[in-house]
Amino acid sequence: MKKKQVIEKRKIICGLAVVLLVAAVGMIPNVYSLRVISLALIYSISAFGLLLMLGMGGQMVFSAVAFMGIGAYTTANLCSGRLGFYLNGTWAILISIVLGGLMAFLFGLPLLRLKGTFFTFATIGIVQIFYTFFLNYVPLFGGPAGISGIRTLSILGFSLDSYVKWFYFLAVVAILVMLILNRARNTQFGRRLAAIRDNEIAANVLGVNVYWTRVKAFTISGMLGGLSGSLLAMMAKYIAADNFSWTRASTFVIMAMLGGVNSAPGIVLGSIIITVLPEVMRGLDRYLMFLYGIMVILLMILMPMGLSGLVSGLAKRWRRKRQARRER
Amino acid sequence: MSVNLLGSIVINGLAMGMVYAMIAMGLIMLIKAVGILNFAQGDLLMFGTFLVSFLIVDLEIPMGAALPLVMVLWGLLGAGFMMITYWPLRNASYPVAPVVATMGASLVLSEGVFLIWGTWPRTMPSLFQTADGRPATVNLFGAEIQVQFFAVIILGALLMFLVWILTEKLYVGKMMKAAAQDKYAARLIGIPHLLTTMVTYILVTELICSAGYMVAPIFAVTKSLSSLQLKAFAGTVIGGFGSIKGAVIGCLIVGLVEAFAQVNLSVYKEAVVFLVLMVFLIFRPGGLIRSKIQDKA
Repeated sequence: MKKKQVIEKRKIICGLAVVLLVAAVGMIPNVYSLRVISLALIYSISAFGLLLMLGMGGQMVFSAVAFMGIGAYTTANLCSGRLGFYLNGTWAILISIVLGGLMAFLFGLPLLRLKGTFFTFATIGIVQIFYTFFLNYVPLFGGPAGISGIRTLSILGFSLDSYVKWFYFLAVVAILVMLILNRARNTQFGRRLAAIRDNEIAANVLGVNVYWTRVKAFTISGMLGGLSGSLLAMMAKYIAADNFSWTRASTFVIMAMLGGVNSAPGIVLGSIIITVLPEVMRGLDRYLMFLYGIMVILLMILMPMGLSGLVSGLAKRWRRKRQARRER
Repeated sequence: MSVNLLGSIVINGLAMGMVYAMIAMGLIMLIKAVGILNFAQGDLLMFGTFLVSFLIVDLEIPMGAALPLVMVLWGLLGAGFMMITYWPLRNASYPVAPVVATMGASLVLSEGVFLIWGTWPRTMPSLFQTADGRPATVNLFGAEIQVQFFAVIILGALLMFLVWILTEKLYVGKMMKAAAQDKYAARLIGIPHLLTTMVTYILVTELICSAGYMVAPIFAVTKSLSSLQLKAFAGTVIGGFGSIKGAVIGCLIVGLVEAFAQVNLSVYKEAVVFLVLMVFLIFRPGGLIRSKIQDKA
């Protein structure tokens, strides 16, 4: 009884802290830094797909970027007047999510029969195929020039015309997705995924349909990609193929690893760090990416479970120490 | 399609396929010996190639002296790569960690090249040149084909054969294999883990860097050399993971497909290569040649 109360209290405190944090960040007067942080939030939504596949399901994938591209280009076509009409942004988001999910489902259906590393390579193939089409097929994807002039999102007559508004909106979306994912962890689906991650054969024996569970997870990660791509298109107002290249795909994996693949707040933190750092260290200019690479290696050596792993490790040690003191 | 065009496409495809095959062989050796997918394969190749170009073009060291020197440098590169991305992480609780570390290393290498040698494409003199410095050609069915392509095919096959002998037939290779299959048992019978791993890394680096060196006169020496690795990945998967024979066949297929797609579909050639990969994955998910050992990663 008492324990439950403690947990409830902790939840309330966490919620308050998050609200305060979001409000405080929203107060940043510099529009440019708000834009960068908003971008990081969008990326983190895509990276949540990785949380599902790699963190919860134990399957390394690179394809988040490809589905993000599908979402982004869908929205770009629907909201830039290229097809001769402007669709409401809300509908564009929904269609992007559906298309992202559908693409993931269609690719996942044949490819998820593959195991482990094979599937990882297949996702590299997905990224390359989509990237080539984004870059070259002019009628749908605008070719190398990309698509510009995308209208911003407006919900119920409330137009998101400044980065402050975008930031608050994205924070709400990211937190919602995060809550849903955390909830999903304890559903039948989440437990099945975890069982597959920990021991596929045992999961199979216990009656888990490994194939369908993985297809479901992949489809959901495709939907998350579609959502974040759609948001990206509407916030940046301009989309080009560079956003969806192989380099970007590996950046996503690094983001997730930095934060800790199995922790949603960790992933948000990771994508904020990875997106903001290059902007903060602009002065380093030519050395930036070099140092970034060194940082990634050091990170893997020093804390392979990411920031969240480090934090939970420290918390565990602290708790043990406290208990030891109490026993004395 | 005329015969001379066909001939040049096939030779071109086989040569590129051979380069991919060398990268793929290195990849598989690393997977077998240390269980790590190396995403810096292409960047190691690029770094090695820039190194040769620097020694031969900038420092003007004659070819005969430069090649042994370069072999040593490549070996050091491989050993350094291993000491940084594998050794500290060998006991990591999370198997993806060393893989991500190689991604970081790939950034370090490609940016390192950029910092040391700048962004300009560099040239690499071919071993086969006419007197006025143009690449030598052979006439095959009425098509002029660079000798370098043939050199890539023959030298590539030779190098891969040597490495194969070393790893499959000789005692050293058996030691490496034993250490790969069961680290603990291998250490128990006195096989030094550090040494075998390092030898593997050095061999792999030498192999892929020489692939880079051979392909460099055909392309320029640029950062885009690192993108060769993605197609080597495709070939590896087509061939069946973990089988060197399969990977070589797979990479040759990739090279040929790419060469034909380049003529007929130009900009979409990358997509074609990976679509072929998808088709293979769907209809023959185990690859052309199935490996006897299950995929552990």
